[in-house]
Amino acid sequence: MAKIKRGVSFYSYQQTQFFKQLGLEGQIREVSENLYGADGIEILDEQSLRQYPNSSDEFVAQWHGWMEKYHVTPVTMDVFMDVLQFRDHVMSHHECAERLKGDIRLAKRLGFKNVRTLAVVPIEILVEALPVAEELDIRIGKEIHNPIPLHGKYVQEIVDYVDNTGTKHLGIVPDWGIFQYQPSDVKLEWMIRHGASRKATEILTQTCLDMRVGVGPLADVDISLVTAGNIEVNWHRYLKTDEAAPYFVKAFKAIVEITNSNISEPSAMDYDVVFQALLFSQTRPEDMGKLMPYIISIHGKFYHMTEIPNRPGEFEDCSIDYEGPINYLKKAGYEGYINSEYEGQRFYQDLPLEQLADEVDQVRKHQEMLKRLIGE
Amino acid sequence: MLDNFLVRKDSLMNFFENGKVAGFKFAVRNANYRGVFLSLHNGYYIKLDDVVYPREVQKFEINGKSPRDFEEIKKAVYEHWDYDDEAIVYVYKDGGISSGKHVMEFQQSVLAAYGYMPTDEEWVKNPPVPGSGAGSDKTVHIVTYELELNEGIDQNG
Repeated sequence: MAKIKRGVSFYSYQQTQFFKQLGLEGQIREVSENLYGADGIEILDEQSLRQYPNSSDEFVAQWHGWMEKYHVTPVTMDVFMDVLQFRDHVMSHHECAERLKGDIRLAKRLGFKNVRTLAVVPIEILVEALPVAEELDIRIGKEIHNPIPLHGKYVQEIVDYVDNTGTKHLGIVPDWGIFQYQPSDVKLEWMIRHGASRKATEILTQTCLDMRVGVGPLADVDISLVTAGNIEVNWHRYLKTDEAAPYFVKAFKAIVEITNSNISEPSAMDYDVVFQALLFSQTRPEDMGKLMPYIISIHGKFYHMTEIPNRPGEFEDCSIDYEGPINYLKKAGYEGYINSEYEGQRFYQDLPLEQLADEVDQVRKHQEMLKRLIGE
Repeated sequence: MLDNFLVRKDSLMNFFENGKVAGFKFAVRNANYRGVFLSLHNGYYIKLDDVVYPREVQKFEINGKSPRDFEEIKKAVYEHWDYDDEAIVYVYKDGGISSGKHVMEFQQSVLAAYGYMPTDEEWVKNPPVPGSGAGSDKTVHIVTYELELNEGIDQNG
């Protein structure tokens, strides 16, 4: 029986690292010693590495030493694309591809098998970098992140390219956030502390639940081709000018309508809160069906692990479907990694130091859930 | 992100140049979960005790180099500000600031992004003014700190 493997993206430990509670070696040790047999390591190059992109030979040797000492495996390195790096012009696709090629070479030095690019990287850039990936046997995985669903254009163009060329070095890295169907309680509380009305957060949650079952003014709205950042930029432009690309207008109008009909004299913030309903991708487990061969690795995104009522020591994230997709992956014979990617810490960071999230504890609870659902 | 922790609480000091107090300085971290190329770093909104100190009177010290103004930082296109590293912001103000408590409003401007954005071309021509919210990356609100002047010995003094 195929076995799903478990690992951790060190994105999860961003705050722990910020406060220097765990350095890179400490994070690796945590995976090795406290996560019930998880062995996968995923890093973000610009978070974990010093002097990016010029890691020293001494560091690389030390890194491989850690992998051996702690019996863990470098799985995926996440890389970025900042198109204003040169400041005097916007980087061309060619320049972005050059940066990506450098990242692929760096990943190879560190023993990684996969490089994850951002969801927003145009396919032309991936294709230009692909020969380097093939030569070094590194797979490039494009992140598929909320609100982009698996059935959208951004996935299809990868599938088409792989089918047409037969390359084994290009695919997708779905982020589990695509299976999120309602906002996390920690995010709602954060929004309320930042001035959102509780009423608006309730409308938001209800709107999400309506969308999940296909009712309400947003039932047939599809904004599958854009990223969260781009939707937000367009939304704020729409609020200011009443104008938006035709693509967005129907969704934005529906948000305004839902808000107006539920809240008398809504504030600007109320609209922004309800707008968050557009940032969920409405993905179902079975949407992975035909895409299984293209899945390189998976980000186990989560926001808040809580104990399941009456089941001591067992945990869940109430805003994200984990059980459905894991059962699907098991049946489909997925043998890659699910790497925990904790993102709830940011919703506490306006609070005093002693009230911040415990990232290490949250990841342990997430790994308990993964191990249990995988059925190890 | 980490809004309340971007400025180190005990780091506010006066600094000297040519034997005179030339301004104040404080230690900062990058408001993101990763480091960035230094060139993307676009200056600060700093309002101390109701006076705004624009980017033009700021300098930035990182990577063991002398403090640089933000026109120079802009050219550091291959240099990296690592996630773990603290940097020092210098603000020129003749005579520096007084002893005791100060209220600082603060926002960092970093032109990091998830790929191409509608604002790219505009920001090449006219980089956003720190404090406008544009380019504020992961800390979208201006943050207020209450800081006490640290009257310890200025290492660079």
